[in-house]
Amino acid sequence: MKEVYSNFMRSLLSSEFTISGEIDPPKDANRTAVEEQVRHLKEHVVAANVTDNPIGDVIMNTLAPCVIMQELGLEAIYQATCRDRNRIALQSDIIGAAALGIKNVLALTGDHPKMGNHPQAKPVFDLDSVLLTQVLRRLREGENMAGEKLEHPPKIHIGVGLSPGVEPLEPEIIKLEKKIEAGAEFVQTQCIYDEKVLERLKEATSHLDVPILPGIAPLRSVGMAKFMLANVPGISIPEEMMKKLESSSNLTETAIDIAAELISAVKDYGFPGVHIMPVGMDKYVGEMIARSGVR
Amino acid sequence: MIITRQKPMKEILEMLSPYRGVALLGCGGCVAFYQTGGAKQTKEMAEKLREAGVSVVALGIANRQCYLCEEREVAGLSDAERIRKVARELEGFSELENAEAVLSLACGVGVQNLANILDIPVLPAQNTLFMGRRRVEGDFDLEQCVGCGDCILAFTGGICPVTRCAKSLMNGPCGGVFNGMCEVSKSRVVEHAVPCAWIEIYNKLKKQGRVDELRRIRPPKDFTKAANMRKVAWGVQK
Repeated sequence: MKEVYSNFMRSLLSSEFTISGEIDPPKDANRTAVEEQVRHLKEHVVAANVTDNPIGDVIMNTLAPCVIMQELGLEAIYQATCRDRNRIALQSDIIGAAALGIKNVLALTGDHPKMGNHPQAKPVFDLDSVLLTQVLRRLREGENMAGEKLEHPPKIHIGVGLSPGVEPLEPEIIKLEKKIEAGAEFVQTQCIYDEKVLERLKEATSHLDVPILPGIAPLRSVGMAKFMLANVPGISIPEEMMKKLESSSNLTETAIDIAAELISAVKDYGFPGVHIMPVGMDKYVGEMIARSGVR
Repeated sequence: MIITRQKPMKEILEMLSPYRGVALLGCGGCVAFYQTGGAKQTKEMAEKLREAGVSVVALGIANRQCYLCEEREVAGLSDAERIRKVARELEGFSELENAEAVLSLACGVGVQNLANILDIPVLPAQNTLFMGRRRVEGDFDLEQCVGCGDCILAFTGGICPVTRCAKSLMNGPCGGVFNGMCEVSKSRVVEHAVPCAWIEIYNKLKKQGRVDELRRIRPPKDFTKAANMRKVAWGVQK
C-alpha cells in the first residue's frame, strides 16, 4: 500500500473529483495579499500551488506563502523550478520545506530568466525537471544526491507539469514518461482552453497510470486571450470562446462561465480532477466550480 | 571555429592611446576564415589606425596565433630575444622592436599566446564569442560547443543541448517551445529567433530512426569534468 502524506494525494487516490488551486505571491512583503487569496480558495480546493517566480520576475518566494497558507488551513503544493537553484540549493530547500510541513512539491524546469524583469541574471538549470523529480524521490527514500543517508527524509508527494498543446507532442509525452519513471505521482498541465486539446491530452496519455489534472485559467478579456495566444506556448482558444468574450457585456460573468464550462469538460473527458489557476480571479473560484456542476 | 567580432574602433583607439608605436598582428586561422582578423582585415585596421593618427610600426600575419611557437622554444630567452624571435619568424614584423604594444586581431587564445611570449602589452582587437560555425543562410554565427568536458553528442543526433538549449537541459524540451522556437526568442533582450535545440534533436533522431534515445533518463551533468564551468581549472593533463 502506498504511503500517503497529504490530503491532496489522498483525494487523488479516492474516487472524488480533485480540485487544486493556485495563488500568485505578491511582489512585495504583503502577507495580507497571500492570506486573502488563501481565504478565497480555502473552501473550494483541496490544495493550492504556490508559483516559483513565474517568467523569472522577482516576487515573494514560494516557501513563505506555502507556510502562511498551511497556517490558515489550506494545504500547499510547493512549486520548485530549476531556474535559480543548483542541486545543492534545490535539495536543501526541499528538506527545509518538508520540515515546515510542506507535503506536495511540483517539479518544474522554470522559465528562462531572459523572459522576466531581470534578464541579466545568470540562468542556473543545473538539473532539469526529470532529474529534479528523480532527486525528490531519492530524498524521500532517504538519500541525498551525494548518497548520504537521511534519518528523517522529507515526506513529500511529487508532481510534474505538462504542456499538452505543444507541437510536436511526442517529445513532450516522452519526457512525461521519463518523469513518471523518475517518480512523478501527479501531473498538472499548462492551461487549456480548447476541448480538442483535452481530447488530445486524453489520447496521448491513456497508457499512463498517473492522475493528470488539466489546467484551467479564466479568460478575463479579449486582450488577455490575445496575449496568451501570442506568448504562451501551446495555447489555442476556440473562435466561439473569443466571440463570447468580444460580445460580453459583463466580462467577469463571462470569464466565470467559460471557466465553468472548461471545468465541466475536464470531468466529462474522464480526468480525475482539475487544476484552477485563478490569475487574479481567486474571489470567483467557488463560483466557477459551482457553475461547472462537477460537485 | 572560434567566432569573434571586432571591437568598436573607439574602444580600440582608447586601448592604444598610451602607446607610441603599435605592431599589428592578424591571424590566418578562424578569424581569417570568417574575415574578422585575417590579412585583409589587418591591413584595413592599419589604415584606420593611421588615419586616426596611430603610428603602426609593423604589420604581420601569424599562420595560427594560437600556435605561434612552443613554450619551451622561448623558455630560456630574454625579453629582447623573444621579441627578436617573433620578429624574425613573422613576415612584416621585423620592426616589432620599435613597438610599445601589439594589437592582435586573433581570438582570445591567440592574444594570450602572444602575451605569454612577449613582455610588452598585447591588446585584443576582437571580442571572442564562442566555438561554432557560420550558418549557411545569412550572416549568422551559431554557437555549437561550450567545451563541457563530457560530450553527449552520440545520443543527441549530433546537436548539443548543453550549448544550444537555452537551459542546457539533458532530458528533452521544456514547455517553452513555441512553434519549434525557444521561448527566449520572445525576450526583449534576445536579438534573433532561437530554434529549440530539443526539437531539432527530436527531428534528427526521428529521421535516423533513433527516437528511443530520448526515452532514457540522462544523468545530471557532472560539472567537475567541465573546465570552463568549474572555474577553478586552468588546464588538463595530457
